[in-house]
Amino acid sequence: MRQLVSWVVSACVGFGRACVVAAVAMLVPAVWAAAVAVWIWWWDGDPWSGTVPFLWACIGTLALSRPVCRMFRSLVAKWTGTVIPGGYRQPGAVTQMSTGYWWNGYSYERTSRDARMDQQWRTRWRDPATWRDLRFTAIAPVTVGLICAIPPAGLAAAILGLSQPAFFARLIGVLGLAVAIGGASYAWRSAEPVAVRFLGPSPAMTMAERVDELTAQRADTTVAQAAEIRRIERDLHDGAQARLVALGMSLATAEKLMETDPDQAKALLRQARAGATTSLTELRELVRGISPPVLNERGLVDAVRALALDSPLEATVSADVRLRLDPPIESALYFGVAELLTNAAKHARATRARISVVRDDTGIAVEVEDDGRGGVSVRADGGLAGLRRRLSVFDGTVEITSPAGGPTRVRMVVPCESL
Amino acid sequence: MRIVVAEDLYLLRDGIIRLLEAYGHQVVATATTGPETLDALLTWRPDVAVVDVRMPPTQSDEGLRAALAARREVPGLPVLILSQHVEQLYARELLADGSGGVGYFLKDSVFDADQFIDALERVAGGGTAMDPAVITKLLSSGSSDRRLGGLTEREHAVLGLMAEGLSNQAIGQRLFLSESAISKYTTSMFGKLGITDDDTNNRRVLAVLAYLNNP
Repeated sequence: MRQLVSWVVSACVGFGRACVVAAVAMLVPAVWAAAVAVWIWWWDGDPWSGTVPFLWACIGTLALSRPVCRMFRSLVAKWTGTVIPGGYRQPGAVTQMSTGYWWNGYSYERTSRDARMDQQWRTRWRDPATWRDLRFTAIAPVTVGLICAIPPAGLAAAILGLSQPAFFARLIGVLGLAVAIGGASYAWRSAEPVAVRFLGPSPAMTMAERVDELTAQRADTTVAQAAEIRRIERDLHDGAQARLVALGMSLATAEKLMETDPDQAKALLRQARAGATTSLTELRELVRGISPPVLNERGLVDAVRALALDSPLEATVSADVRLRLDPPIESALYFGVAELLTNAAKHARATRARISVVRDDTGIAVEVEDDGRGGVSVRADGGLAGLRRRLSVFDGTVEITSPAGGPTRVRMVVPCESL
Repeated sequence: MRIVVAEDLYLLRDGIIRLLEAYGHQVVATATTGPETLDALLTWRPDVAVVDVRMPPTQSDEGLRAALAARREVPGLPVLILSQHVEQLYARELLADGSGGVGYFLKDSVFDADQFIDALERVAGGGTAMDPAVITKLLSSGSSDRRLGGLTEREHAVLGLMAEGLSNQAIGQRLFLSESAISKYTTSMFGKLGITDDDTNNRRVLAVLAYLNNP
């Protein structure tokens, strides 16, 4: 009984959906049909009388193609959960020049409204998505449109056929009813594969998007690299270099005092030795910040183990393999773990942390979990945003789950081939 | 003492050899790569070896690996590891076999020649010698906090110096206390940590570090 009820419900819902899909798919053909009707209506022996309706139909098609495609995408997303990216080109910024005119990337306009309008038209004209939408409005009626029209057509045949007394008409009515009922649950499902096939971004569009993304990333990386080099230069200049100068001076003075005042010379030498030790310590810290020696010597897993040992937290590391990855990826992940452990100890007031390094066929996943107070948010200039940026260079992602009250779990995933 | 020196940088190797000879020790062999080091250690069986961590051909932890391999062949072969940086991880690996005769120092430690030679002799005698930087890291890391929480500040200091490999007498001199006062501290400390006291430096350090290693 319950099965029957659920079947009836699904058939009714399916019938409704088929009607909606058919209606949306047939919008553009309806415009053309109307144009043809008007042409026939105006027919006076001159075929050129169809020009005006034909133009109307063209304009209607252009105007309707994008809304129709949008409706298809939202219907498919709502009913099946398959999200199809639109891939429309976004208009760029419109800026006012010093002359008072507005520049929209293509031309100068007197007002910002004109500039935006002009830009919108040009963007739309050049956007490959527009042509793809047009193609879809031509394909949709003869594929999903026809399939989804079957149940309503069957119902119409049933109503018409059964209202006639003739046996043949009644037979057609019964057949129509059977088709309508049988197809109701299935017809609308054809919308998904067709939309996925013809509405998604084309390879060229995906490529263009990827190029934009990579350009932005490259700019980011270059800026970050320059900043890093400046920091290293400053550290060396203010630290080790200055100390070595002082060291040289102490030694020169000691050499001079050796004969006349040996005690003073000895004191200076002691001082010089202390200076050398300090500059070594500074250099060691600097090197650790650039490229941690343990990472070079042992690879990621042991380097993370060393981090865990040095951390003020009670940190455990679980790693299934001794893997070697590309050095830049290892370095990014290492500094990521270091940052997360520091955050856990400093901001989250955690006492324990669990680090796991797992490798599978597609990439490497490093997860850091602490028992701190949670509630982590990503600020644009914060460490986590920086971490995300550093990993995005390798197409890596950072997932953060941190409910207020903890625990915080951060998962870094980088797709890669191991060496 | 008969000593093997394994260090790939010429200036440093030369400096270490000169320092050792100035103190009347004999350098019997030198090595500049990982395989050479293993070879020299096993052929010469020196009283003690000074080994750099990073060496050719891969410039990774060649020296440390050679030393560990040699100690697997000849348990207790005294080795003093020198490095530009200290890692708890390496210290734990060196101490893991529990047979003593190991040292682990920053290269800066050769600046203080007396202390360096002293540490070298301790290692040659089967004891352990650790750079203060390693001990600081070992004692300040998260896992030790919980276990050493019960110690007083003074006991903590004594534990640190003991882990460096110093005797009670030497610890007393550092802290300006009498040797008997130190032995009182160590007794109460061992009680709190649940370690049975023993007289040799080696066992004391190993006990402390083994305790840090195993929760």
